[in-house]
Amino acid sequence: QSLEDCPLDEDEDAFQALGEEDEDIDQFNDDTFGAGAVDDDWQEAHERLAELEDKAGSSREPDGPVGNDGDVLGDPEDALAERLTRLVIDSELEDPAIMQAVHTRDPPQQPGGLNSSIWDSSAMLRRIRGPLLAQEMPSVSVLDYALPQRPPQARDEERDPSERALPRRSSSPIIGSPPVRAVPIGTPPKQAAIPNFNQQILCPKPVHIRATMQQRYPTPYGERMSPNQLCNVPNSSLLGHPFPHSVSPVLTHLQRAQLLGGAQVKVLPAGRMSPSQFARVSGLVGSPLPSVNPKLLQGRVGQMMSPAGGFRAFFGAPPAPPPSQLPHPPGPGSHLQNLRSVLSLSQRPTRSLHPSLTIPTLPRPQPQMFRPDTTHLHPQHRRLLHQRQQQNRNQHRSLNGSGGDRGGHRSSHQEQIRKDPYANLMLQREKDWVSKIQMMQLQSTDPYLDDYYYQNYFQKLEKLAAAEEVHGDGPKKERTKLITPQVAKLEHTYKPVQFEGSLGKLTVSSVNNPRKMIDAVVTSRSEDDETKEKQVRDKRRQTLVTIEKTYSLLLDVEDYERRYLLSLEGERPALMGERKQKICDMYDNLRGKAPGQDRLSDDHFMQIMCIRKGKRLVARILPFLAPEQAADVLMATARNLPFLIKKDAQDEVLPCLLRPFSHVLYHLPLGTVTSLVQQLTNLPQSAAAPTNLHLTAVLQNKFGLSLLYLVLSRGEELQNSDTNTELMQDNQWTELMLMATRELLRIPQGALAKPVSIPSNLISLFSRYVDQQKLNLLETKL
Amino acid sequence: PGGAPGAPGAVPDPPLSFPAEKHLVLLRDGRTLIGYLRSIDQFANLVLHQTVERIHVGKKYGDIPRGIFVVRGENVVLLGEIDLEKESDTPLQQVSIEEILEEQRVEQQAKQESEKLKVQALKERGLSVPRADTLDEY
Repeated sequence: QSLEDCPLDEDEDAFQALGEEDEDIDQFNDDTFGAGAVDDDWQEAHERLAELEDKAGSSREPDGPVGNDGDVLGDPEDALAERLTRLVIDSELEDPAIMQAVHTRDPPQQPGGLNSSIWDSSAMLRRIRGPLLAQEMPSVSVLDYALPQRPPQARDEERDPSERALPRRSSSPIIGSPPVRAVPIGTPPKQAAIPNFNQQILCPKPVHIRATMQQRYPTPYGERMSPNQLCNVPNSSLLGHPFPHSVSPVLTHLQRAQLLGGAQVKVLPAGRMSPSQFARVSGLVGSPLPSVNPKLLQGRVGQMMSPAGGFRAFFGAPPAPPPSQLPHPPGPGSHLQNLRSVLSLSQRPTRSLHPSLTIPTLPRPQPQMFRPDTTHLHPQHRRLLHQRQQQNRNQHRSLNGSGGDRGGHRSSHQEQIRKDPYANLMLQREKDWVSKIQMMQLQSTDPYLDDYYYQNYFQKLEKLAAAEEVHGDGPKKERTKLITPQVAKLEHTYKPVQFEGSLGKLTVSSVNNPRKMIDAVVTSRSEDDETKEKQVRDKRRQTLVTIEKTYSLLLDVEDYERRYLLSLEGERPALMGERKQKICDMYDNLRGKAPGQDRLSDDHFMQIMCIRKGKRLVARILPFLAPEQAADVLMATARNLPFLIKKDAQDEVLPCLLRPFSHVLYHLPLGTVTSLVQQLTNLPQSAAAPTNLHLTAVLQNKFGLSLLYLVLSRGEELQNSDTNTELMQDNQWTELMLMATRELLRIPQGALAKPVSIPSNLISLFSRYVDQQKLNLLETKL
Repeated sequence: PGGAPGAPGAVPDPPLSFPAEKHLVLLRDGRTLIGYLRSIDQFANLVLHQTVERIHVGKKYGDIPRGIFVVRGENVVLLGEIDLEKESDTPLQQVSIEEILEEQRVEQQAKQESEKLKVQALKERGLSVPRADTLDEY
């Protein structure tokens, strides 16, 4: 994002902007650690809450913080004013952008665009404060009460000038850095802070508009009410059922504006309406609003309703398109009427739609079974949730007698509050906010890459379930999966910020554009001063590196099948080619690639086979190799088996090779098999050697013996299947067999290892070459 | 859930409102807290109201009322809702605070004794197992 996008910086040049960064950083620090982060008067707030507890038992309805000014709030107007001021103050605490804006700038009159709400709200504030201050209301004392350390607005204007920097910065990200929020990430929304997940532009200040009065409450504010209750009451009626979730103990400045009257109400669109915007739009207040423009309301609300791209997939179905349903209240007509009808619109249960939008919950015949906003909850959780809600609803219905009776709701609601005044300390939107953060972590463009094991695990489970179903099991167990948000992969090409009028390119290092700070150069040591141990160590390290590289190749190759399925037709040949190449590379790595050189030594291969991981690697690679290559590997293993056995004594990983080896054997011709046996048994031996150490070692090792059996069995198979064509090889084979059987007979039984499996045709094999007596001996040995 | 996705990260809905439900929190140092969960944030920092620390020794347990707890998220092992109906349906026996503390002390002592013996035995055989740091024990 270049600076040109930000209209606020038009007048300044880049340098100044840079200089202001410091101020911004100061402001950040302040926000995070200093006064900005904390409510200026926690003591006051604490006292307020403490009073809440005290009065909860005593009076019929908890008074709350309003207690002190009870005299002041003798009449509805004062109560409204009080709420209004609290709102104003809260918003001051909330958003320095607004404060600052009020003091310094004339808000540009922008039509409902993305950033407009900030300015609009400031305009609102101005106008609100105008009438507020003009009227000699006890609001002054209320102000004092609410913020004793901050007496009237006048003082605010002498605030820290560094705050002035904020709105500018909040609209344009720090050069090169990712966009920063006005409120640090860790702070939960007090009023309705929006963590700006996907959007570069700062979300405009969200707006609560709530009906504060109902026509059915002629004197709702005659009694003292706690802030919770204040909002609970109208809200509960709004909602149509006692759901305290959507309570907001503080009213927005707009509400106060409405209450005050005389203010032009502009519903502030929250820009792109993503679920992360917690704007509430509700009906407007009835009587005390002489001049409300319902059309404006509708228009703005309509704007607000267009859902944003970002989190749409997040919550199952997007909120129902409200614009179509908005024109319900006819344009012309008495304001009150319009308001009332709008109000009635919002009186439907919010459950049917996104909870933060109360207006869109337009009349529906029956409440939806599942809130679309709860799709991110685990299905079992969601079920429990709804069960409980049902219970509650039933409970309350039975309590009140009539389900729709608002009065009944009100009393039960008050009961709830009495029972547990702390019940709703956390607002619904705050809860949503937190759960949204959690869900964000689950977003993934490539779930197989990010969360391989989870995906595989669930695939296995599903396969199991499907298999069980096939067998006609009893009641199918519910295997429900958490629906994680799927985010399309977006290509972000980062373009480093360029400044106009600067010579050359200024390199600004940032998170997205890291700059190389250190030149780390690998210098290879000279060969002379290396000791033998070092050489050995290096060699081992080399081998380890080779294994790792080959493993990467292997994982890629194994993945090709999946990619193949996902790819387009045209890409497939290329994919296959890549795969082949990788397989060749793997083999070369295994055997020690030396271009132009005959592979005379097994050394490289042996090195790999000495390492546990190497053996496993070979086992996994074998299925991909061509038959000749695989046979080659097999031969190399057989040739050096005693050495490998010795090295494997501790790990005992060799048996993992048996299965791939047997697969390979299946395809081998007799000639190869014969030579294999030769290698394995090291026969024929020269007469000089007294004992066949090679064979002994092989026979005494589980893997060796099993392999030998496998090979023998394969040979037998071949013999049985095709006696004609293999006549040439027969002699060699027969000789080998004779020798092998002789050896086997010679070895005492105790020395024989326990093989993994004994192929069934061994007996028939041996029966060709030995007589019955020896055959019996052999049988007992096996 | 942190970095590894897979576990539902949804915030429990009803427990943070009426009717308030009790939650059981297990901390990294082994303490068990039971209280009304009032607030939570993305780091799993918790605000517990009318908290009670429950000490379990064998089949007995004792509750120590603690008031309001603010728990830093990194110390939370797990958090679960208590089914109020099933809460009373437990084979465990509740005892007074003094008693449970005494039981705990006795148990700790016994553990330490056996640990000492173990270390001694290992030392005699020439093996020394470095004692794990208490914080990492859990």
